[in-house]
Order: sequence, then C-alpha cells, then structure tokens
Amino acid sequence: MKNLNMSPAEVLLVDDNPADLDLARDLLIANEHPRQVSAVTDGEDAVAFLRREGRFTSAQRPDLIILDLNLPRKNGWQVLEEVKADPKLRSTPVVIFSTSEAPRDIGNCYRLGANSYVRKPGNLQDFMAVIQSIGEFWFHYACFPRREEQ
Amino acid sequence: MTSGMIPETRNHAEKTSRDSGELLRVLLVEDNAADSELVLRELKRAGFDVTSKLVQAAEEFRLTLEEFVPDIVLADYNLGQWRGMEALEIIRNKALDIPLILVSGALGEVTAVECIKQGVTDYVLKDSLPRLPISIRRALREQRLRAQRKQAENELALKVEELARSNRDLEQFAYVASHDLQEPLRMVAMYTQLLAERYRGKLDEQADKYIHYAVDGALRMQTLVQDLLAFSRAGREGTKMSPVDCNLVMRQILKNLEAAIREKNAVIKHDALPTVRANSSQLQQVLQNLVNNAIKFHGEKAPEIEVRAERNRMEWEFFVSDNGIGIAQEHADRIFVIFQRLHTREEYPGNGIGLSICKKIVERHGGRIWAESGVHGGTTFHFTVPAPDEKENAASRGAEPKNLDTKDLDTKDEEPKHEPSGSLVSR
Amino acid sequence: MKAFDAEILLIEDNQDDLDLTLHALKRENLANNILVARDGEEALDFFFCRGSYAERNFDTPPRLVLLDLKLPKVNGIEVLQKVKSDPRTKSIPVVVLTSSKEELDLVRSYNLGANSYIQKPVNFTEFRQTVKHLGLYWLVVNQPAPQGACEPAGQEP
Repeated sequence: MKNLNMSPAEVLLVDDNPADLDLARDLLIANEHPRQVSAVTDGEDAVAFLRREGRFTSAQRPDLIILDLNLPRKNGWQVLEEVKADPKLRSTPVVIFSTSEAPRDIGNCYRLGANSYVRKPGNLQDFMAVIQSIGEFWFHYACFPRREEQ
Repeated sequence: MTSGMIPETRNHAEKTSRDSGELLRVLLVEDNAADSELVLRELKRAGFDVTSKLVQAAEEFRLTLEEFVPDIVLADYNLGQWRGMEALEIIRNKALDIPLILVSGALGEVTAVECIKQGVTDYVLKDSLPRLPISIRRALREQRLRAQRKQAENELALKVEELARSNRDLEQFAYVASHDLQEPLRMVAMYTQLLAERYRGKLDEQADKYIHYAVDGALRMQTLVQDLLAFSRAGREGTKMSPVDCNLVMRQILKNLEAAIREKNAVIKHDALPTVRANSSQLQQVLQNLVNNAIKFHGEKAPEIEVRAERNRMEWEFFVSDNGIGIAQEHADRIFVIFQRLHTREEYPGNGIGLSICKKIVERHGGRIWAESGVHGGTTFHFTVPAPDEKENAASRGAEPKNLDTKDLDTKDEEPKHEPSGSLVSR
Repeated sequence: MKAFDAEILLIEDNQDDLDLTLHALKRENLANNILVARDGEEALDFFFCRGSYAERNFDTPPRLVLLDLKLPKVNGIEVLQKVKSDPRTKSIPVVVLTSSKEELDLVRSYNLGANSYIQKPVNFTEFRQTVKHLGLYWLVVNQPAPQGACEPAGQEP
C-alpha cells in the first residue's frame, strides 16, 4: 500500500459526459485497492468541490484528480490553472483525460502544470484498459502527500 | 479664337454625319487656335462625329479630365509653358488608359522615337494631317483590345477567387463534420460494445446477433470518420517545408512497420535516397502508405519491395515497386479516388483512403503520383517531388539534414500555418 | 536520434539501484535509449544543453525522467526546481524515484511540479515490478508533450 494515508484513496472525476463518468467510476471502484470516487460534471463545480464551497462543504479533498478538458462553465484548462496556482491544491496530481490528440492541447496542459495527459480511447477495450492503468499506477505505485486533517 | 477653354463644339451643319459618323471625344492640347481648327476639320472629314475640348495648360488639362473623359488626347509637343508630354504624366497619374497622339510641327526623328518610348501612342506632323484619322483609329483599336483583355483577366481572377473560397468551404466542412462526428460516434461504439459485454448470453441469441451488428457498424463508422478526418487534414495543414533526408524517413518507416514486415516476411530494400525539400511528416505519410500497401496487397509470394529515386531535371521521381497482386491498368486511376476500393473487406482490410491522402499530399507539394503495372506482375507507384534548385540539392547532400518528423502517423491537428520554414541549408 | 538524446533519463548515483532499474526497463523493452546522469550537475547540464551536453537541443526531450532525490553535487530537489520552473524544460515528465519516506520531500516534490513520486521498494521483486509499471504508464499510457512545445503555446482552440 503506497498511499501514506491510512484511509482509502479519494479520486475526483471531472467529466461532463455522464456515460464516460459512469463507466470510469464503475471501473475505478471495482478494484482491490479501495478508493472513493467523487464526480462532478462541470468546471465550476470542480473548483467548488476542491475548495469545499457551496454545496461541497463536506467534500473530501481528493488525492488525485482525473480531469476532462471540454467542460461547461469552466473548462478543463481553467480548472487546471486554478488548481496549480492554489498553494493548498497544487500538490494534488492532475491527470488530464481527454479525447483530444491535438498537440497544442497536450502542450498547453503540460505548460499549465498537468501531471499526466492520457488520451480517452474511442473503443471499450482500450477505455477499460486505460482506466485500469491509471488506477493501478496512481493507487498502487505512486505516493500522495498526506491529506491534512480538516 | 481666343485662348482659354472653348466649350464643346459640335458641327451643326453635318447632322446627317452624326447619325452615321464615328463618335469621338477629343481633348486637344494646343495653344494655336488655327491649328486646332485644322485638326478638327480633318477629323470631321474623316467621318468622325467629334466632341472636343481645348486646353492649353497643365492645370486646365487636369481639371478638364475630371469632367470630360476623352477617347483620345491630341497634344502639341511645344506649348511654351509646358510640354505636351506632361499631359502623359497627368493621364498616367489618373490611371487612365487614354491614347495620346502628338500633333506637332517640326519634330525630330530622335525626339519622336523618344516620346513613343515614353508612352506616346503615335505622332503626326501638322503638315501630314490626313494621317491623323488613321492613327487615331489604330490607337483606339489597340486601346479597345487592351480593355477587353483586362476585363477578361479581372473576371478570371474573380472566378479563381470564388473557386478557392468554395474549396476552402468544402474542406472546412469536411473537417468540421468529421471532427464533430467523432464524439457521438465514440459514444455509440463504446456503449454498444459495453452492451455486448455485459449482456452477452443473458438475452436471447437474436439479441446477441443484433448487438454484434450494431457494434460492427459503429466501429466501421469510427474508422471511416477518422480516415475522413485524416484526409481533410492533409488538405488543411500548412506545408512547412524543410530539407528531408529520405533515408532517415525510410528508417523510421521500417521501424513503424516492423510488426507487419515480420508477419508477412516482407523484404524491403532501398537505394541511397536523396534529400528533398518537403514537409517531412507528410512525405513520411506518403512513403509509409505506399510501402504499407505493398506489404498488404501481396499475392502468394512474400512481399518484395524496392524503393528508389531518380532525378529528372527539375524533380525527383520516387519509385515504390512490389511483386504483389498488381493493379489492372483500367483501374490505375480509380485507386487514387477517396474510398475507392478494388477488393472486398474480407480480401484486404482498409477503407481505401490511403492513396487519396497520398495524392493530396503529393499534389500539394507540386508533384504527381501514378501507378504502373509491372512487366512481371506487381505494381510500381511513382511520385514526384519538385527539386527546383540544382545548387540547393548539391549543398543539401553535403550539409547535415535535420529530420524533424516524429514516429506517430496521425496528422497533427494544427491550424494551417503558412509561414515558410527557416531554411536549414546554406545557399 | 543523436547519441546524447534519450527516451529515458535516469538520474541516479547508487549503482545497485541503477542496475536494477536499467535491468527492469530493458527487460520490458520499453525504450531504445536510456541515458544515465550520476549527479545533479550532470543532470542539469543535460536538461539545459550545456557542458558535455552542449550539442543537445531543447526540441528532443526524453519521454521520461526518473529522478532520485539523494544526489551528489546538486540534490534532486534543486534539479527538480530548476527543470520545472523553466518553460523550455517544464513539460518533461519527471518522476521522483527515491528511497526517501519523508513527507516533506513528498509535498515539496509535488509542489515543485514533479509529475509523480514513487518510493523505491526495498524488495527486489517489488522494485522490478514498480519500474515495469511506471515504465508502462509513463511511456505507453501517458502522452508526452509534443516536441518543440517549448515555446509558450497559443490559446486553447
């Protein structure tokens, strides 16, 4: 168990596509390494969740954020930028999970401080394999900073 | 007659001639009234229905031109205050195409030739006035021809611009359509697959079959749209040109196609290939596509492929030859049309887009691409890349080429860039 | 690729760990060239195309960097800080691979922009597994920044 926290890992999924959200959440949860998956469908909710504002006052700070780019209200780049600019949030790894293959999009994400960029595949097998890989690497092998007591 | 402007004169006595006479608007630049009378009389006699104005000074001339646009300007060479030649300047400055004929007293041969060099249409000596109408008619004829040609050119330019715009619209449409189609298609493909997986064997056999058809259709649609996107990208992308060492390109291609080569026991040889001026990733696409096809469309024998290049004057011609199933000569053109396939999907997989992309890329580089059947079966694909600068080619063979291409085949989704790349080869 | 370009850069001074890591990576056939820097200074020379790496250029970065924190000459944290604060190098995936269990190192690394942080397992088999999986994730699943992406990017589409 690599997470220095004793409690299960917390993941925040941000995707405006409910189908992808459901599928990703199902895949992430069904795993030997327990994790809690929270999900929001737009960029403003994502930031509010992370800041525990509005209806998210009892939200748990996530260990990992999986973030799509094309989101309503605030888009993924804006969320990324805000997270990485906030000293309280910026140590949280952000994995961009998007269908875009455009080099400019990818380059922008890294420039804004994304930890990882993973292309969302177009077919089921690859989608499942990729979510599996993300879950496995980040929750089995990588370490996260301890979550502060709130 | 006094100096100064004389309002339009019309010969009232010859009404009949007005009906059948050639209309002619004349602007006379002359300070001698008698001379101008003589000129007008000569024109009338020649059958012109003349409307004229007379000026003597530059400013007058300029002002008059604003209201009265003549068919012809007849100017005396020597006018005391200013030279008739200055009228030419003024006409030019107004961007008008009005022939100017010098009607002058003594005019040396040398001066006359000089004036014509400067743009005077003709000169007529005052004691040879009968020549004047002939000269005028010729000048007008030439001017008319010029005007017609210019109009034709303008119309052509408009049509070309319209066509270019229409093309851009179409390409934009194809791009946007295929780009926007991808997301909903992804939904259909993925979630029918999920259905298939979760419910296989749990519904009846018919349901399994239907779901299978749905999944198959969705996946085929996905590849079609991706291919279409690749095709339209090949047209949209800017062509950033640089010297490309084709040997390095081939090395990359062999690496990319490693699995297929191993699987089919393909043998690929290539001679030393040149360095050409091209867009490196697009050139790689073309060669990789052709080599891949050669591997794919093999007959019973293991594929043997040869890649080489020859220089023909202003271009390099590339040859990709194989010993495969060959192409009937009557189909040789069709294969470059998008989505045209000569075989069923069971026989050989693929959507039939590769060659149309090759054609698009080659043509955007200013080259040609065609296929020829080999004498002993098999096919040779030819394509050309312009090589305009003999010196550049020689220099680039010596200089270290910088090959900027990356491994991935996917055309990059960039906004078209039209800036020229910095040349890496010293001229 | 030139001799001093690499797909993976290992920044490690401990020979045993180095051997293990190289072995695990080669076994999985994950990369064609793996370069090693044995101290922080050599690492910085590599990143900033100077010293013995003066012929490198910023346009061909490695696809993955594994960085130990305990390094001679210049320590790992400083290397990380310099690399992640320079626009020419900040997009390179840098994974901290260290024996340190210090919470401070963990937080600092992520705050400085480390793409990920992995604690070296003491167990030989686990170590190999870890390297294999991190290699697979960062070289296969993760999309690196496009080459030549060092200039400030334009606006989002």
